Amino acid sequence: MSAVIFSTWRGEFIDNRGKSPDESSESGFKLPQNYHGDVTSKAFIGWDGVAIFQEDVDALRLATEYAAQYQVYSEACGRCAPGRWGGRILYDLLDKIARGEGSYADTDHLKEVSQTMMLTSKCEIGRTVPKPILDLMEHYWEQFRDAIEHQKPSKHYHDDIKYIAKVTAPCTDMCPALVDIPAYIEGVRDMQFGDSLVATRQTMPLAHTCGRVCPHPCEDACRRANLDEPISIMELKRLGADYETDHALPWQHPHPPKPLRNDGKKVAIIGAGPAGLSAAYYLALEGIKVDIFEELPVNGGEVAVGVPQYRMPIEKYQKDIDLVLELEAVDIYNNHRVDAERLKEIEEEYDATLLAFGARLSKAVRAKNERADMQGYWGAIAMLDKVNLWSKYGIGSPASNELKDKTVVCVGGGFTSMDVVRCSVREGAKKVIMLYRRDEKTIIQNTTYEEYHEAVEEGVEFIFHSAIEEIFDENNQLKKLLVNRFELMPDPEGGRPQLVKVEGGDFEIECDYLIPAVSQALDTHILPKEWGLAMTSWDSIQTNGKDYMTSRPGLFAAGDCEYGPMTIVNAVGQAKRAASVISRYIYDGKVTLLDDEIMEDHLARLKVYNKDEKVTGWMPGLPRMVSEKLSVQERIDNNREVNLGFTGEEALSEAQRCMRCYYISMVAV
Amino acid sequence: MSKDKEIKMITVTIDGKVCQAPYGKTILQIARENGIYIPTMCYLTKVKPIASCRMCVVEIEGVEGMILSCQEVATEGIHVTTNTPQLYTQRQNIMKLYDVNHPLECGVCDKSGECDLQNKTLEFNVATQNFTTREPHRTVENWGFISYDPALCIMCEKCVHVCNEIVGDESLAISVGGYKSTIVNKNLEDGCHECGECMSVCPVGALVSTHFKYSSNAWELTKIPAACSHCSSGCELSYEVKQDKIYRVTNNYEFSSLCGAGRFGYDFENRTNGKDEIDFNNALDAFAKADTIRFSATISNEEALILQRLKEAKGYKLVCDEAKGYQDFLKAYSSISGKSLYSGDLATIKSSKVIVVFGSMVDSDNPMVKYAISTASKQHRARVIYVHPIEDANLSNIVTQYIKYEVGSEEGVAALLAHALVDRDNLDEDTKAFLDNLDIGNLSAESNVGEEEIDALVQSLGKRKDFTLVVGADLYSHPRVENIAKLIALIEKYTSFDTVAIPPATNALGVALICELDNQVGEYTIGYNSRGDFTLSALGEGDLDMPSLNQQEGTFTTINKQVVPTNVALEYKGYILNDIASALGVKKQYTIDYTQELPIDKGYQGVAFDDLKIDFGINGEDLRGYRLQTHGVDSNSMLEEIAPLPTYDGLVLYRANSINQFSPFTHKAKELQSQEFLKGSNQFALAAKISDGDEVKFELDGIKYTRVFKIDTSMKGTVAINPTNDKGLSSTLVSSYRYAKLILDVQNK
Ligand SMILES: Cc1cc2nc3c(=O)[nH]c(=O)nc-3n(C[C@H](O)[C@H](O)[C@H](O)COP(=O)(O)OP(=O)(O)OC[C@H]3O[C@@H](n4cnc5c(N)ncnc54)[C@H](O)[C@@H]3O)c2cc1C
Ligand code: SF4
Ligand code: SF4
Ligand code: SF4
Ligand code: SF4
Ligand code: SF4
Ligand code: FES
Repeated sequence: MSAVIFSTWRGEFIDNRGKSPDESSESGFKLPQNYHGDVTSKAFIGWDGVAIFQEDVDALRLATEYAAQYQVYSEACGRCAPGRWGGRILYDLLDKIARGEGSYADTDHLKEVSQTMMLTSKCEIGRTVPKPILDLMEHYWEQFRDAIEHQKPSKHYHDDIKYIAKVTAPCTDMCPALVDIPAYIEGVRDMQFGDSLVATRQTMPLAHTCGRVCPHPCEDACRRANLDEPISIMELKRLGADYETDHALPWQHPHPPKPLRNDGKKVAIIGAGPAGLSAAYYLALEGIKVDIFEELPVNGGEVAVGVPQYRMPIEKYQKDIDLVLELEAVDIYNNHRVDAERLKEIEEEYDATLLAFGARLSKAVRAKNERADMQGYWGAIAMLDKVNLWSKYGIGSPASNELKDKTVVCVGGGFTSMDVVRCSVREGAKKVIMLYRRDEKTIIQNTTYEEYHEAVEEGVEFIFHSAIEEIFDENNQLKKLLVNRFELMPDPEGGRPQLVKVEGGDFEIECDYLIPAVSQALDTHILPKEWGLAMTSWDSIQTNGKDYMTSRPGLFAAGDCEYGPMTIVNAVGQAKRAASVISRYIYDGKVTLLDDEIMEDHLARLKVYNKDEKVTGWMPGLPRMVSEKLSVQERIDNNREVNLGFTGEEALSEAQRCMRCYYISMVAV
Repeated sequence: MSKDKEIKMITVTIDGKVCQAPYGKTILQIARENGIYIPTMCYLTKVKPIASCRMCVVEIEGVEGMILSCQEVATEGIHVTTNTPQLYTQRQNIMKLYDVNHPLECGVCDKSGECDLQNKTLEFNVATQNFTTREPHRTVENWGFISYDPALCIMCEKCVHVCNEIVGDESLAISVGGYKSTIVNKNLEDGCHECGECMSVCPVGALVSTHFKYSSNAWELTKIPAACSHCSSGCELSYEVKQDKIYRVTNNYEFSSLCGAGRFGYDFENRTNGKDEIDFNNALDAFAKADTIRFSATISNEEALILQRLKEAKGYKLVCDEAKGYQDFLKAYSSISGKSLYSGDLATIKSSKVIVVFGSMVDSDNPMVKYAISTASKQHRARVIYVHPIEDANLSNIVTQYIKYEVGSEEGVAALLAHALVDRDNLDEDTKAFLDNLDIGNLSAESNVGEEEIDALVQSLGKRKDFTLVVGADLYSHPRVENIAKLIALIEKYTSFDTVAIPPATNALGVALICELDNQVGEYTIGYNSRGDFTLSALGEGDLDMPSLNQQEGTFTTINKQVVPTNVALEYKGYILNDIASALGVKKQYTIDYTQELPIDKGYQGVAFDDLKIDFGINGEDLRGYRLQTHGVDSNSMLEEIAPLPTYDGLVLYRANSINQFSPFTHKAKELQSQEFLKGSNQFALAAKISDGDEVKFELDGIKYTRVFKIDTSMKGTVAINPTNDKGLSSTLVSSYRYAKLILDVQNK
């Protein structure tokens, strides 16, 4: 790995030129000094500065190439006057100097154009591009001066150097599916809702779904928070999807699906949840044949049979599903449980196989006398399957047969448990209690503020810092629970506070049902033992988290079965990457990443969002829009969608708050 | 922002001036309302901020950096500075950038003299250019009425916004490519309404009228402020005239809009050489003989009043086929709603969250209604439910639900709507009983409107607010118009819906209010822009010439229930209606002397013509003329039982004109001239045993048609569309129901 010779990244200033190793200082950031494999980087340049890793770097050419990248980008944009023409001029002037034809006047014009771009550009990309260029001009001035004085090309002007650029945004970087958030928000702002949807679907086929129930990690990395409050990124995604559905438009794909290749290559996918659907989508868009094997008669995985109707109406999710399944290259086989034997057959028959079977086994709460066959002990996944299969598809029978007028206790703290308690309320339970080991703050972190708040409004009783010690039954019928209380004690050593049992704090709850929703595990039985697949310490399928190939060549895994129970967007992001790797693997048998993907991973390590950055040039104090929800009375006894979504006005003013924080970065190798 | 929340007033200081404004306005809006200038290149008041030019930056005390005033909402207490040397430099630099690739060969540009780029280049003193770059090659494109020159385009995006947000066409898109970016028209073949909205807002010479190009310098033309006379929207426009010729139409595009008919259909004048005394005397003889005046609703309020006075003085029957059904509708409607006029207008539609359109082919019937719906759809995500026997595929991007009913079943559909929407709580016993006793199953079966479709419509209301019901000409011409009107009135009265009843012709509302219309013609008929035994015609094909509406002054009563003035663009040398009336003893010196006598009991306000304003306020308020006053009327009429719904099996024709065509006057305009077709679906072709391109003959309402049949693949079902605008004076004669069974006489090719 090469050392940092010079860096202005994010406000640091390192200049190790001509210094001995022990005089040199090190960068505080995870800069991409090593590009990929044994390829090292010469320099890294981006929105927040420039870092140089080799003494011999041609700073003038680096600046020129960076401007060229911006120009390429602005050729894909061109939506504001300063950026549209400024980018071009920046490049023309730099290239003129680098060619050996420039003058000092050109450097003045450069500064002038840079100034206007920095102050007035529409997006952050135009505002930030000049910064590292000006840095180079200042700190590597002698190279600029030489080229002008001697009217000669810069030192490596004609050399073959590879420059790899990547556009990102803080929010995009944090989104596991790397959704082009500024683009879909711009679509809303311009009221070009079709464009908005297309922007989302470039990396996220489940637009309806992730516009409704995504826990939006992206919003934690929204730069707008530095000014006032983060953008309501998640809900704005819904507009494009609703537009397509409301107007019964033809599918708005990011590009027209390519015709089926018919070259004999085919990919098998096990499971039609978010991961399986997303991988199928991106493979099929390329014309690659995909067969999906799904155990259930219905599609969509946990979002169909887990996430309840009042949060994610099936009519809407079904659109996301149909978008995928209607592609020519996709076939699905329902009621087709894949077991270890079948998996071996499939793996044999297909050029690549993607495991996407989720994590659908409810874990135990680890209490005394806990037995799955006890009447009244009902695993969350099974309970929600029943609720959803009936309410969404009319399959089975209503869960109110079991739950009406009953007392229900749920143990959990994540999404699943929230759905359990809120569904229990809707099924007519008399009393619903949630037991959670940790506190309110953590439950909100694990789910969302809205979700928790709505459950409280609906009358769910939350008991924090508590855990079941023992379950009591009569004739195998669950009757009551013995619960321990805990307290958060500060660690005298200054470490993390510890949960300590409160002596004498135990209490009992009489109840009819205990629904454990602490976590889910995957069904490892379906993995042939003889394959000896590498597993993680929490017993999910292991991959390197970059190409998603398991320890068995040609066998890939994505989504909950790879990560353990996580989120839809995580499943989508993994599956999209896996699909990309698979699309090459089935032809050359190699596991490769695109430059774009390598850069994605570098930026994720480096972290794009800087919560300490001071945002300028925007009006502070414009509140985040909050959409209307059904009132408790309106929602408590039915499955109507609780969140009514933004009105047109709300959506527009929210979209106008977005600052389009596009950034461009580039590595020279 | 929920509607219930009270809107908070804020105080902001701009360049030292203390300004008050409701929270939610942008800094630029507040500045403009207070007469403070901030330069802009991409701002267009009637659409949402575009934010592409960045010229409008300002500084705000305590906020670092430059703030985009067109987009940023002002907050309480801010101090804004709109001009500093630093701001000036940045704006000047932006202007330099704009000029980088712009030829600035203003001498040969049509826009010269009214070009924003030219003006701002001067304003910011950009004499020299220190930024340069290579120039990509660009060719001028022909979009039909409009040509697009990408070399002149500054990518302000105004055109894209109007096409999407106002017209609802989504024809224009940005082809992104940095400094090579251009605007593309995706729907040239099909979809682009050739309305010219894009052209009118273009700040430079990039979009110009193909026809007007190089025909005159802008500064040599005289602007005659007027109102468009082609449909009941009565849009604001100016005829631009030189030497007794109209060169083009412009409008106050910052705030208001036009359709293609208004913009390109201006030369429908009737040229005469002078007063033809012989014809005039023949006319007087004819009036002496006549017992009926049959006229088109494309006349001014004043002319309508003259006709009414003639009726009062001489006992003529007044027959106006275009307005009679509408008058019947309005009377019946008032007899239930208790209000003299319908409650909504275009602004109500534009701000609606749910719009139900019933019985109108809005896209061609009334473009401004369609524009208003488009804006509601884009800006408010309005649910748009289009209730009509023909699913107009042109509207699919704004309609959220089509409800297709059987031709003829309008009364049943109105009953279904009233039944579903009217809240029973506040009803009197009779009305409640009436609704509760409706045989919904039967109505639903007969009209072919499923109860689940009505349920879906009701679902659309959800927790939304601001609903408008827009009804149109299909209902006015229906044999059961009165009961339909009463059912619509129930909805207006007992729900939160506002209603707009689109007047079916330019001044149908004026005629319906001013004239007492008769049903039947008598023995001898004077036709005024309509066929009669003796015909007065502004189309030049009658017995005595009359001025057309661009040759007259007077007023119209528009869909907005607004009385708007129009002026003489071209001189008329012959006789006018007032001359005849004066000779018959109904005397006034000028036609416009009638303006202040328009009937006050109908809501007119007795204002003299010369006192009517004809402009827009600083914030875009339409200050033309005045609004009619709505007053209370008796509302004790009874609903009738629903009559058995008629059936229209087999082939059916629907009377509707194509986009930008309304009447023989639009048909006459050179730029709009087109051949009219009978348009139908594949299914229609199959049922009628005809194919695309066949010539067919048929007779309807006594008018003979020979038409070429065209298959429109976006259409479904066995209803075909037949225009009438090319039928000259006969086209105003039809008062029958808009749908008719068709018996075809097929000619072979
Ligand atoms: C109740 C609940 C609520 C949740 N709420 C949210 C939320 O609001 N937001 C969020 O982002 N995430 C939420 N999650 C998590 C989210 O649902 C999962 O992370 C996501 O569904 C994982 O996708 P996946 O495709 O990996 O697996 P799954 O969605 O579990 O899909 C796996 C599919 O494989 C099928 N399958 C399993 N085994 C076999 C087999 N042997 N043969 C054939 N097919 C098989 C299953 O039937 C299923 O269709 C929730 C989870 C639960 C349980
Ligand atoms: S303001 Fe917009 S672009 Fe910037 S981080 Fe937030 S959502 Fe992303
Ligand atoms: S998918 Fe989720 S994380 Fe990604 S942008 Fe959308 S809301 Fe954010
Ligand atoms: S003419 Fe009208 S419809 Fe056509 S592109 Fe221009 S604005 Fe759009
Ligand atoms: S054509 Fe005219 S209105 Fe449209 S972007 Fe270009 S300059 Fe602006
Ligand atoms: S025809 Fe109607 S909509 Fe078109 S410009 Fe004239 S008045 Fe306006
Ligand atoms: S007017 Fe504000 S950016 Fe153009």
